[in-house]
Amino acid sequence: MTSSTSPVLKFGLRLLAGPAGAVLVMAATFVAAALIFFAINGREALSLFHEMVMGAFGDGYSFSETLVKTAPILLTALAVALPARLGLISVGGEGQLYLGALFGTGAVLAAVEQPGWLLMPLMLTGAMAGGALWGVIPGLLKTRLGVNETISTLLLNYVGVLLVSFVVHGPWKNPNSLGWPATIEFPEGAILPQFFDTRVHMGLIFGVVAAIVLHILVTRSRWGLGLQVSRSNPRVGTTAGISYERNVLIVMAVGGLLAGLAGIAEASVIQNRLQDGLASGYGMTGFLVAWLAGQNFLRIIPLSVLMGGLLASADSLQLYAQLPKASADILQALLFITVLAVSSLWARRRAA
Amino acid sequence: MESFITELLTLLFAALRSATPVLAVVLGESMTQRSGVINLGVEGQMLLGAMTGFAVASITGDPWLGVLAACAAGIALSMVHAVLVLGCGANQIASGVAVLILGGGLSAYYGIPFVGDKIDTLGNLNHTFVSDIPLLGQFLGPITPTVLITLLAIPVISVFLFRTRTGLRWRSTGESLDITRNLGHNPAPYQLAAIAFGGLMSGFAGAALAVDYTANWVEGMTAGRGLVAVGLVIVARWNPWYALPAALLFGASEALNLKLQSWGVDISPYLLATLPYLIPLSVLILSYRGLRASGGGMPAGLKVVFQSAR
Repeated sequence: MTSSTSPVLKFGLRLLAGPAGAVLVMAATFVAAALIFFAINGREALSLFHEMVMGAFGDGYSFSETLVKTAPILLTALAVALPARLGLISVGGEGQLYLGALFGTGAVLAAVEQPGWLLMPLMLTGAMAGGALWGVIPGLLKTRLGVNETISTLLLNYVGVLLVSFVVHGPWKNPNSLGWPATIEFPEGAILPQFFDTRVHMGLIFGVVAAIVLHILVTRSRWGLGLQVSRSNPRVGTTAGISYERNVLIVMAVGGLLAGLAGIAEASVIQNRLQDGLASGYGMTGFLVAWLAGQNFLRIIPLSVLMGGLLASADSLQLYAQLPKASADILQALLFITVLAVSSLWARRRAA
Repeated sequence: MESFITELLTLLFAALRSATPVLAVVLGESMTQRSGVINLGVEGQMLLGAMTGFAVASITGDPWLGVLAACAAGIALSMVHAVLVLGCGANQIASGVAVLILGGGLSAYYGIPFVGDKIDTLGNLNHTFVSDIPLLGQFLGPITPTVLITLLAIPVISVFLFRTRTGLRWRSTGESLDITRNLGHNPAPYQLAAIAFGGLMSGFAGAALAVDYTANWVEGMTAGRGLVAVGLVIVARWNPWYALPAALLFGASEALNLKLQSWGVDISPYLLATLPYLIPLSVLILSYRGLRASGGGMPAGLKVVFQSAR
């Protein structure tokens, strides 16, 4: 680049290096991956792709469904990105989501007679506690015994899903549900507020606010600076009075708490009850989005919307084009692989 | 007393059968990690192996062809990890998760037409000379070929790793890339082979599960066995001999789960189903105490991956 580069171009390049660039790269790779995948399977690639875009962003209803999927993805992505600030690789979003739904539902069932102004805060507190618990356990294992957090969070995911199955098949099963394993329907007071007559709910607001607050805290506060120091050298951090151990517990708990909110929002608004298969895969999708966003809280917001669009359109394609639901997983994986490859090669070239 | 011993032996052999897919993954992943690469994608490779093996067995009617196809599928998918990690220098954990999601998606997508198919099994040792062995015959009889192949892999891997020149270089690759390079060896072929071997074993593990153990294909049927195996590699201290007791831990917890249910124990099957995750996790936690003090045989090159945090 010479000094004669026009300011417009410079501005454009700077924009590309920021969140807008990440979204652009992701969109381009996604288009390529989707077209190739459709073509390999003998589908009309372009028309199917058009259907997909329409299914995600085509009209008000489609877009609202996209936003419905965005909420849990956004929250579980934050649950990955915050621990990543300390260099931790947590894959526990799925389990934390289920534990949030479990504890939140527990609070609802315990206080089902209470008025909404009391029931709602109880439910949300329960959900946050449940999610935080499933974050703190791997956090404690890490700080006390050095157990690798990736493996412990992955295993705890399965336990979380089974715990929900246990209560909905057993003690919390609605006796009037004709054998269907689910709790009773949530009372009016335990349904999170929704907007514009759609299923878009408070969970989305929680996610966006949390992303912005976390971004400010991590980039502007003393605590955020401490995380950076701890990450690069825990010993230096300790001499400066920053406890690596305490920070591990904090980021894991806050991450888990956010994923827990995603869980109770799914149970309350989308399912109206706790049941099996609450939110299969949102945790993994969140992990992916956090990585695509380079663990940047603000970039996670638009990327979650795009990924929500992918999931929503996969739902509609399943209806209209008989495309199996698993195609969404394949497209996500292809996207992740392309972005990982491109960004790693890019980093390597810059380092060289 | 006699019935107690019979009961115990039945449980042990049931544990061995259900441990076999996990054992195969532990062996493969130990070899991968010995070269300094961790691959969480084994779960996805196992799923793709299970689906491919079952599909080929169903189409051709030959379960052995299914096993071969499963191994090939495992290797093919592991090459995605190889390209990302070795070719592009991507983060190993992230790349592993990508492979995991891809394998899950591909197996679910292409496995749909085969759900509910019936396939011929690989058979077992019943009606051979083994089942005529007094006392033990009744336990050895139900043992299937994949169990034997996996058990046989233990001494083979052990001899290769600890008694051959190539095995020595394989291990030195995992200890230090720089020293290996300085000795005039290119580490890349070793790491590539290590990832491919992990792919082979996890594909085989998928076949052991879908073609042999259950003779069935269900979406997501591995249910975390591959990930449990990655944890058990640490318990097994990257040693093929310790892999057997480590995998039996999973097998025993699963066998115990089924046994308790058949005894009509008044505990929810969903709670019992957490045992195959919680027991390996607990042992992993216990074994970390030794790991912390001595390193416990962890390949030094892996520490970079495991402790990227600190």
